[in-house]
Amino acid sequence: MSASTETPPPAKPHMNPYWAGFGLGLVLLSAFVVMGRGLGASGAFTTALATTVHAVAPAHAEGNAFYREYLGDGTTNPLKDWLVFEVLGVFVGGFLSGALANRLRLTIEKGPRISTLGRLVLAFLGGALMGIGAKLALGCTSGQALTGGALLNVGSWAFMLCVFGGAYGLAWFLRREWL
Amino acid sequence: MTEFTNFRHNPGLDPAVHVWGWEIPVYLFLGGLVAGLMIIAGVRLMIMRPTARQALVCCTIGPLAGLALLSSGMLALFLDLTNKVNVWRLYLTFEPTSPMSWGSWILLLVYPALLANALTHLPEAIPALAKRVPAFVKISDYILARPRFVVGIGLANIAIGVALGIYTGLLLGTLGARPLWNSAVLGPLFLFSGLSTAAALLHGILVLSTPDNERPEFADFLLSMLTRWSEAKPLDIRIAPTLAQADNSFLTIELALIGLLLIGHLTSTAAHQAAAHLLLNGPYAAVFWVFVIGLGILMPLFLQHLELRHRIRHTIAPSLLVLCGGLVLRFVLVAAGQASHWTTALH
Amino acid sequence: MMAPFFKYGLFGDEVSLIVAFVTGIGFGFFLERAGFGNARLLAAQFYFRDLRVLKVMFTAIVTAMVGLFVLARIGLVDLSLVYLTPTFLVPQIVGGLILGAGFIVGGYCPGTSCVSAAIGRVDGMVFLAGMIGGLVGFAEIYPHIAAFAHSTPMGQLTLAQLFHIPYGVLVFAVVVMALGAFVAAEWAEMKIGGKQPDAGSLLAPTARLTPVRRFAVALLAIGLVAAFAGNPYRGPFARIDARQLALDAGSPADQVAAGQLADWLIAGRNDFLLVDVRDAAAFAQYHIPAALNVPLANLAADFASRNERIVVYGEGGTAAAQAWMLLRSLGYPAVHLLAGGLEEWKATVLFPKAPAADAPPIEQIEFARRSAMAKYFGGTPQCTGASAPTAPELPKLLPPPAAAPGATPVAQRKKKEGC
Repeated sequence: MSASTETPPPAKPHMNPYWAGFGLGLVLLSAFVVMGRGLGASGAFTTALATTVHAVAPAHAEGNAFYREYLGDGTTNPLKDWLVFEVLGVFVGGFLSGALANRLRLTIEKGPRISTLGRLVLAFLGGALMGIGAKLALGCTSGQALTGGALLNVGSWAFMLCVFGGAYGLAWFLRREWL
Repeated sequence: MTEFTNFRHNPGLDPAVHVWGWEIPVYLFLGGLVAGLMIIAGVRLMIMRPTARQALVCCTIGPLAGLALLSSGMLALFLDLTNKVNVWRLYLTFEPTSPMSWGSWILLLVYPALLANALTHLPEAIPALAKRVPAFVKISDYILARPRFVVGIGLANIAIGVALGIYTGLLLGTLGARPLWNSAVLGPLFLFSGLSTAAALLHGILVLSTPDNERPEFADFLLSMLTRWSEAKPLDIRIAPTLAQADNSFLTIELALIGLLLIGHLTSTAAHQAAAHLLLNGPYAAVFWVFVIGLGILMPLFLQHLELRHRIRHTIAPSLLVLCGGLVLRFVLVAAGQASHWTTALH
Repeated sequence: MMAPFFKYGLFGDEVSLIVAFVTGIGFGFFLERAGFGNARLLAAQFYFRDLRVLKVMFTAIVTAMVGLFVLARIGLVDLSLVYLTPTFLVPQIVGGLILGAGFIVGGYCPGTSCVSAAIGRVDGMVFLAGMIGGLVGFAEIYPHIAAFAHSTPMGQLTLAQLFHIPYGVLVFAVVVMALGAFVAAEWAEMKIGGKQPDAGSLLAPTARLTPVRRFAVALLAIGLVAAFAGNPYRGPFARIDARQLALDAGSPADQVAAGQLADWLIAGRNDFLLVDVRDAAAFAQYHIPAALNVPLANLAADFASRNERIVVYGEGGTAAAQAWMLLRSLGYPAVHLLAGGLEEWKATVLFPKAPAADAPPIEQIEFARRSAMAKYFGGTPQCTGASAPTAPELPKLLPPPAAAPGATPVAQRKKKEGC
C-alpha cells in the first residue's frame, strides 16, 4: 500500500527564478500595503532567544540592553510578535512547497569534496556569523536587502552590496565546500 | 478543583475561578484522545470480528497507548485537585445531576474496557511480554474463542468512548458561569477533536513503522531497538490510508462544529458575542486562528488530502499538527473561557 | 487613501499576527519554489554557476518597488507610513560584510535556512542553531559595541533623498540596472558555468516575445512612466482641501471645552489621545494628566495612528490651532483642540472662581461640582477673598515611580518594527 513504500517520485525542478522572484515581490508588496512594513527573519529568532533567556534568567535578560529591546513593554507576551508569526509561516510555506515538489528529504546539502562533519561545522559557523552580522546591520537579507531594497533605503543598498562583496570575496577560499 | 454549578451572580467570584493552569487542558486533551482511541479500536474490532490474533495498530497499539495516556491524564487531574486525599469520596455516591460524578464513574469504566481490548491482541503486539507471562496468551485465547465476547468488548469501547469524549466537553459546558463554555456544541466538538487526534496518532505510528529507505540511520536504529525489545512483528500498514481518510472526516466535522459554536455565540446574547469575539479578533485570535484553525485543522486536512491522492509522501507532519492543534484547542478554550464574563457586555 | 491598512487601523495587533502568518506562508513558499532551501544552489551564485540568488532577489525588489510606486502615486498607499529602517551606515557596511561571509561559509541566510530546515535539510537546522549561538554572543558583547552599532546615524533616508534625484527616476534606473544585471548574469552562466539559456531566460535562443521577456518589457515600461510621474511620497508639501478645512475651522464642532475634557479624564475614557504641543521644559513643569508631549516642530513625524482621535492643546489657543491645521493637512481626520488651551484649563478646571455670596443656588451647586473636579486634578478652588490670590500654585507633578530595588523595569516602549 501506502505511498511511502513506493520509491518516492523524483524531485521536481525549481521554479523559473524570474517568476519565483515575481511571486516573492508580490508577497513583499502585499506586506507593504496591508501592514506598512516589509518582511524579516532574524528578528524572530532574537525575540525567541530574548524570551527564553528572560524565562531562564530574568535578571540577566532585563539587565542586557540588547535583550530588553526585544522583550517589549511587558504588557503582552513578547512571542506575540509580527516577525515570530511570519517566520512560523515561512516554515509552513517552505514545507508545503517542498512537499508539493517532492523535495522533503532529511539530507545535507554539500559539495562532494567536504565531509559531513566539516559541512555541519561550517554551517554552524556561518550561522553564528549571520547572527552577528544581521544584528549589526539591523536586519538580514529579508529585512534589509529585500525590504529596504524595494524602498530604496540607503542603508539597505549599502548593506546589500557589502553582502555580495563579502561572499564573493571569500568564495574562492571555500570552493572545497561547494564545488 | 471545586465544582461549580451556580450561575454568575457575584462578580467577586471572578478572580477565584481564574485558576486553571496547564493541568485541566492537558487532561481534557488526553481524555479526548483516549476516547477517540477507544472508539476507533471498538469500531475496528466490530468490523473485523477477529478469531485469530493480529498485530493491529488500532486494536493493540491504540488501547495500550490509551491506557498509558489516560493514566497520565488522571495524574494531571489529580495534580489539579486541591484536596488530594479526598479523591476517594467521589466514588462513595453517584449523583445523576453532577458531571463530575458522571466523569469519575466513566473513568472507572474506561480502564477495564481498554484493558480488555488491549488484552485481546496483546501477545501479538508485545510477544516478549507474552512469552514471560503465559497468562496473557490464555486470556487472549479465551476472548478470541468467544465471538460474542469480542463484539461486547467492541460495543463497550464505542459506548464508553463516546461518553468519555462528550463528557470532556460537557465538563466545561456545565460551568454556566462562563459564557464561552455555555454551549451544547462543546461536547460533540471535543468528541470529534478527540477522534481526529486519535486517528492522527495511529496514522503517525503507522508512518513511523513503515520501512522507508530515506529515513536517516539514527531513526531506523531507534525503531529497530524498540521492535527488538518487544519482539513485535511489523504492523499491518494497509489501514494507513483509511486512517488518514477518517482523520480528514473528523477534522472536517470538527471545523464545522467550531463554526457552529461561534455562530451560536454570535447570534446569542451580548455576553456570548463578547465571548466569541475573544477568539475571533480578541486577545486569543492569533493563537486560535493560526494554531487551532490553520496549523491544527486546515494544514493537516490539505496535507492528508494530498497524501491520499498520492501527490506527496506520507509523513508524520499531519499527525503532529493534528495532535498539537487538539492540545492548543483545549488550552485556548479553557483560557478564553475563563476570560469570558457575563459582565463584559455591560462595559 | 487607506493603505497601509494596519496603520489606518483597519485591524488590530491580534489580527496582524494572523496576517503575519499568512504572509510568511507566501514568503516561505516562494523561497522554496526558487530553490533557496538548497545551500549548494545558493552558493552556486558565488561561483557564477547559477545566478539564481541575484535573479530572484532583484526581480522581487523591482516588482515590489514598481508596484509600491504605482500604488503610492495613484494615492492608494501612503508611502510615508511604510516603515523605513533608519540608516547607520558604517555598522551596516560592517554587518553586511560579516553577513556575506556567513552566507558563503554557512550557505544560507536566516530566511532561507528556515525553509531548508522545513524541508529536512540538516545543514539548515545546524545553521539555525549557529545563528542562535551568534545572537547569544552578540547579546553578551552588545554593551561594549553599542556605541559602534549606533554610529554614523543618517535617519530614515532613501537613495532619492541622498542623491537628490526624483524618486521615479531612481525607480526607472533600478529597473534598467536590474534588467542589465539579469542579462549579464545569463551571459556569465553561459560563459563560466557552461549553462545554456533555456526558454525561461531572457537570452533564450528565439526571437519570440516569451512570457519572461514580456514581463521585462512591462517592468521597463512602468519604470519609464515612473520616471516622469513625480514623487510618490506625500512629503512635507501636503495637499489639502482648503474649502473643507475652512469649513471645519469655522465650526466649533472640533473644539473641546476644558470642563468636558476633565469629565472625560475623570471617567477614564481612553478613546482619544491628548497631545501637548508645548516644548519639553514647559511639559515637565506641568501638563494635563495622561498627555503626550509632541512639540509643534515634531508633529510632522508619524506619532500616532491615523484613525486616532486626537485632542491638542498649547499654552493659549494659538499653538493648538497651528497644530490642528498641521495635523489636518497631514491626513489625521479626527483632530480636536482644547478651547482656550492650558490657560482655560487652569481657569476653569484647576482654579475655579467661587461665585459671589449672593449668587443663585444653581451657581453655588455648580461651584461645588467644580471644586470637586479641581481637587481631583490637584488644583485649588479660588474663594472670593478680599485679597486677590497671587498666582495660585500649580499642582505638583508626581515624580515617576522610582524603580523598586532589584526589579529593573522592563523597557517601557513598544517593540521596534524592524527586522
